[in-house]
This record gives sequence, C-alpha cells and structure tokens, in this order.
Amino acid sequence: MTTLISNTEHQDRDVHRVLLGKKQILVTEDEPLLPQLERAGIQVEYQCREGYCSSCMIKLLWGKVSYPIEPLAWVNSGYMLTCCAIVKSDIEIAML
Amino acid sequence: MSYSTFNRKKFDSLQEPMFFGENVNVARYDQQKHPIFEKLIEKQLSFFWRPEEVDLSNDRKDFLKLEEHEQHIFLSNLKYQTLLDSVQGRSPNVALLPIVSLPELETWIETWSFSETIHSRSYTHIIRNIVNDPTKVFDDIVVNDEIAKRAISVSKYYDDLIELVNLYNTLGLGVHHVPERGDVVVTMKTLKKALYLTIASVNVLEAIRFYVSFACSFAFAERTLMEGNAKIIKLIARDEALHLNGTQHMLNLMMSGRDDPEMAEIAQECQQDVINIFVEAAQQERDWAQYLFKDGSMIGLNAQILGQYVEYITNVRMQAIGLEPQFATKNNPIPWINAWLVSDNVQVAPQEAEISSYLVGQIDNDLDGADFDDFDL
Repeated sequence: MTTLISNTEHQDRDVHRVLLGKKQILVTEDEPLLPQLERAGIQVEYQCREGYCSSCMIKLLWGKVSYPIEPLAWVNSGYMLTCCAIVKSDIEIAML
Repeated sequence: MSYSTFNRKKFDSLQEPMFFGENVNVARYDQQKHPIFEKLIEKQLSFFWRPEEVDLSNDRKDFLKLEEHEQHIFLSNLKYQTLLDSVQGRSPNVALLPIVSLPELETWIETWSFSETIHSRSYTHIIRNIVNDPTKVFDDIVVNDEIAKRAISVSKYYDDLIELVNLYNTLGLGVHHVPERGDVVVTMKTLKKALYLTIASVNVLEAIRFYVSFACSFAFAERTLMEGNAKIIKLIARDEALHLNGTQHMLNLMMSGRDDPEMAEIAQECQQDVINIFVEAAQQERDWAQYLFKDGSMIGLNAQILGQYVEYITNVRMQAIGLEPQFATKNNPIPWINAWLVSDNVQVAPQEAEISSYLVGQIDNDLDGADFDDFDL
C-alpha cells in the first residue's frame, strides 16, 4: 500500500479511497473490492465470489463502481456486490 | 382458463408477464423478456454433479464415533434437509408451471426443480452410507412432530396457490363452492396474491431455512467430522445460491412493476404479509435449533449461536428484496461458514480441482492457422 501512495502517477490513475465508518482504505482498479477489503482486515460476507449469490452485498452510500461482467444477482440502487465490483472513484460504503 | 400443453394462439411472448398471461407454446430461447432466467439455466447446467461422485466411507466411521446427542443433531438436520428438498423437487413444477407465461422462465423452473431432485438423491446416498436401516430415518420424517411442523410451514403457501390455480383452470374466475371447504373466491387478484406470497415463502425456504441447515452440516466438518457429507452440502449450497437468486429476481421484478403493473400493487399491499413470513420463519428456525440441541450442544455450535445466525441471515435476505431488517444481530456469528459455502473450491473429481463449473469437453473453435505459429515440433 505504501508504494502505491508514494507513486503519485499511479495514484492519480486508479487508486481510490474507500470510507467505511471511521476507517479508510486505499484500493486500486486492478481487482474487485472484496479481496482488497479482506487484505485490509475487514470481514465481508461471501459465498460464490462471482456475482450470483448476493452474499457479499453491502451499501454504497456514494461514489462510482462498475462491473466488468454484469453480475447475475439483482442489485438495488444504493447497494453493490463487493465480489465483482471495480471501484471507479472515491466511495463510501456501509455493511448491511 | 383451462391449461393447454401447446397454446395455439399466435402472440408475442416478449409482451407477456412472467405469470398469468398466455399459456406458453413454442419453447424458444433465442429471445427472452427476462434474460436473467436464461442465464440461470446456463449456470445451473454448468453446475451439474452427481452425489455418487463423493466418497462417504469415512463418514460412516465418523458417525459411529459421534456421541448420541450429536447423532441426533446430524440425523435431524439431514431429515429436515430431506423434507425441504422433497418439497422443492416437485412444488415449483406443480405450482408454477400451469401459470407461467415465458418460455425461459418455464425452463428455469424445470431446471431448478430438477436440481433439487439431485439433492434429494444425495440425502439417500448419505443416509444409505451412514446407517444400517435407511427406512427408520425416512419414516420418521412423516411421523416426527417437530419435522411435521416444518412440513406445514414450508408447504402451506404452495398448497394454497395450487388449490386456487386448480379451481381457476377448471372453473375459471368466480366464487366456487368446494365441498368440505366452503366458498372459495377466485379472482385475478387472489391468484396473484397467492403467487406473490408463495414466491416469498420459497425465497425464505431456500435463502434462510436451507442456510441454517448448512450451518449444522458444516459445524461437523469444522471438527473434521462427516467431511464427505460436507462436500455434498457444499455442492447443494452452490445450487441453492442460484435458486435464491431466481426467487429474488421474481420478487424484485414483481415489486418493480416492470413485469406486470398489477403485481406491483399486490406487492405493495402484501408487504406486511411478506415481512411476517420472514419473521415467523425466523422464529420457527430458532425453535428448531432448540430441538436440535435439546440433549446437548456441540463444539462450535449451540442453539443460541444458531439462533443468532438465523437472525443475521434473515436480515440479509430481507434487504436483498428491499425490506427493512427486523433483527438486532448485525454480524455473522459463524464467519467460518463462508469458507465452507464458497463455491470456488468445490472438488468432486480430481480433474475439477481448479474450477467450480466443470464443463465437459470444452473446445475453442475460434482458432486459425496463425494461432499455432509459436509451436515448433
């Protein structure tokens, strides 16, 4: 994570802040949010990890995420699937 | 009115609602009103597996070593799972096929129900492998009071819908006198309401009741006991995750009014009924947990922890269909269950070590001569 912060060019391109309550972590666009939250020590629910079971659904309070492959699960607005969403801007999330 | 196995009318099925429109005719999948159901069919087919692929010889030894109260937990849980899949292996077909109006949804219902019959066959495979007399276990499902209570709650809404649809298909709309039952009002509204509540109760069955039973199965495997059983339950859990996706889609599509505007009104009117279905099911599952652990707990799981999991999973499932969570439990009290539920590492045969959806004989035909330029012989 330190190397990413010191690399300003990289940071401008695809490093975003994820706010969760009082916690803040930095994530990249290289992989979905779920593994990055797990590496940061944040426990998120999961089952299929490919977008159909909706176990990993959390609230997306603001900010932009995108799905490279449209997930099979129904996602209501204001929610996101962490297992397959790529974070595209700074975002704020909340657990269900 | 009366069901036809091939509707002779010419109509555009893309304009039909999911249910209670025209009876389906041509089974075509080149176009879909709701592509999600076609995708679910594809996914379910790619998941195909057979219980006999899982070796259970160690489970028999493990089972004999379990303490008596642990055998009670294991067998009761298995009986409950057998009951749930007995219902699910037939009811979507019996209740929903006579009223479905989209070919892709019709086939999803059949595919879904078929996969439940594989689950039922798994329980026979498990029971045959761990006890000497399977009949004792199966017979108890019908006579055991605790199981009978579960049977009433999981089949009630299906049975109500089937009764109404039977009257509708034979006598049409109106008030019909049924011997020993009195007058039954059959209107499009009572039919659609019965359908909506049925789908909600099926969602509860697959998204909550099953998961509570999975927790019990995996609690044994956490102690490296009954691991063959856990492997089978893992495969069942992968299928159930897909099935609950199906009912969540049906409910969300109905609520949104995108499929049938009248269904959105009914969803609105029935919201409290649906909340009650979830809350009552959670209470029933907590009562069931008391019965499971009546003679003693097991390491890692007891009635209280399982009760908290019931509340937690009920909250999650309610939010998935836009309902407010009803319980205080915010965190999963058994986070270890995720490692068992994850489908990635389901392995039933050596060649499947790295992929969860094992497709037989996959061949990529999109090749030309240039693709082999790097090869030297």
